[in-house]
Amino acid sequence: MTIHRVIRKVQRFEGWFGGGALLCLIAGLYLGLIGSPPDYYQGEVVRIMYIHVPLAHTSLLGYTILAAGSLWYLWKRDPIVDNMCQAVAALSAVFTALALGTGMIWGKPTWDTWWTWDARLTSFTVLLLILIGYLMLRTFVDDPEKEARYGAILAIVGFVDLPIIHFSVEWWRTLHQPQSISMRGVSISSGLLVPLLFMSVGMSLLFSYMLMVRTQLLYLDRLLHAKKGRLLSQFHLSKSDS
Amino acid sequence: MTNLHRRWGGVFLVAIVFIVLTYNHYRDNLASLAPEQVKQETPAGEIRVLGMVQGGTLETRGAGEATFALLGKSATLPVHYQGPPPDNLRELKILILIGTWNADRQVFEAHDIGIVPNYGFIAGAYLLGLLPLALLLFAMTRRVHSLYEEIKASTLYEEE
Repeated sequence: MTIHRVIRKVQRFEGWFGGGALLCLIAGLYLGLIGSPPDYYQGEVVRIMYIHVPLAHTSLLGYTILAAGSLWYLWKRDPIVDNMCQAVAALSAVFTALALGTGMIWGKPTWDTWWTWDARLTSFTVLLLILIGYLMLRTFVDDPEKEARYGAILAIVGFVDLPIIHFSVEWWRTLHQPQSISMRGVSISSGLLVPLLFMSVGMSLLFSYMLMVRTQLLYLDRLLHAKKGRLLSQFHLSKSDS
Repeated sequence: MTNLHRRWGGVFLVAIVFIVLTYNHYRDNLASLAPEQVKQETPAGEIRVLGMVQGGTLETRGAGEATFALLGKSATLPVHYQGPPPDNLRELKILILIGTWNADRQVFEAHDIGIVPNYGFIAGAYLLGLLPLALLLFAMTRRVHSLYEEIKASTLYEEE
C-alpha cells in the first residue's frame, strides 16, 4: 500500500525532525527570551506568547491530522493509519492542555484573571474535551476494528470545533486578542515575529517527531501482541498436531 | 550508557546551559528594593525600587517631571521624577523606579520608570510548556526501545 511506503520513507528521516526541532526551539528560545525587545504595552510578559501561540497552533495542526487520518482510515481501513490517529489524538490532547495552561499564566498578569469564559478559551476547552472523549472511547470499546471506526467518526464530527476556534476571536469580540498574522497581513513588529516563527516551526517539528515516535510505539505494541498471539497459536497447533 | 541516554544527556546539558545564560541575562533586572529598605540602608549609586504610587500624591509639572509618594509595605518614599514623559505613571499603579537615593534631601530622584517585569509568570509558562513535552518524549522513546528489545527476545514461546 502506498501509505505504508510513505510512512516508511518519512520514518527514515525521524532523527532529522528531532534534531531540527531542537535547533529551532533553541534559536527561538534565545531570540524570544534574550534577543527580542519587551512589548510597549505588556512589557516582559509578552514573551509568554512565544510558547503559548506555537503550542496552540500545533494542537490545531494535530487535530487536522487526526481528522484527515480518520477520513483515510474509514476509506482504506489501514491499521497503521489508525495507530497514527490514536497517537496524534493523545499528543494533541497534551499540547491543547499545555496551550490552555500557558494561556492561563499569561492571562493572570495581563487580564488579572486566570480564567474567563471568553469565546476562544471556551472553544479551545471544548477541543480538549473532544480529544479526551476520543481517547476514552478508544479504551472503552474492546473490539479493535470497532474501536478504530467509532473513534474515526467521533474525530470527524469533532472537526466542527476547529473553524469555531479559528473565527471565535472575530465572531465574538471578547477578551482574547484577534490573530496577529492572517490573510489581511501581519500586525506584529518584526522583532516579535522572528522568534515566534522559529518557535512555531520548532514546535511543529517537535510535534511531528513525537508523532513518529508514538505511532511507532503503538505499532510495535500491536506487533508484539500479534506476535505473542501467533506464537501462542502456533504452539497450540503444534501441540494438537502431535 | 546507551545511545538513548547519551542523546538525552546532551539535551539536558543544553537546557541547563540555556537556563544559566538566561538567568545571567536577567539577573541585573531581577533585583529591586522596597521603599523601607531604601530608607534604612540608604544605598549609594543607581538602584531600582518597586512600589505603588500612593493615591492622592501624584503632582505632574510639565511633560517629564512629577512628584509623588511611593508606597511600600511599611514606609513611603518621596519621589521626584525627571525624565522622558511617563506613560505608565498613574495613581495606585505598581511600578519600578530607576534612580538614586538623595540622603540629604530625603528624596528619591528617579530618571526612568519600568513596568513590573513579572519574570515569575514567564518562567512558569516556559517550564509548564516545555518540561512535560520533554518528559513525555523521553518516556516514549524509552518505551519504543524496550518494545524493540522485547520483540527481539520473544521469538521463542516460553512454556509456563
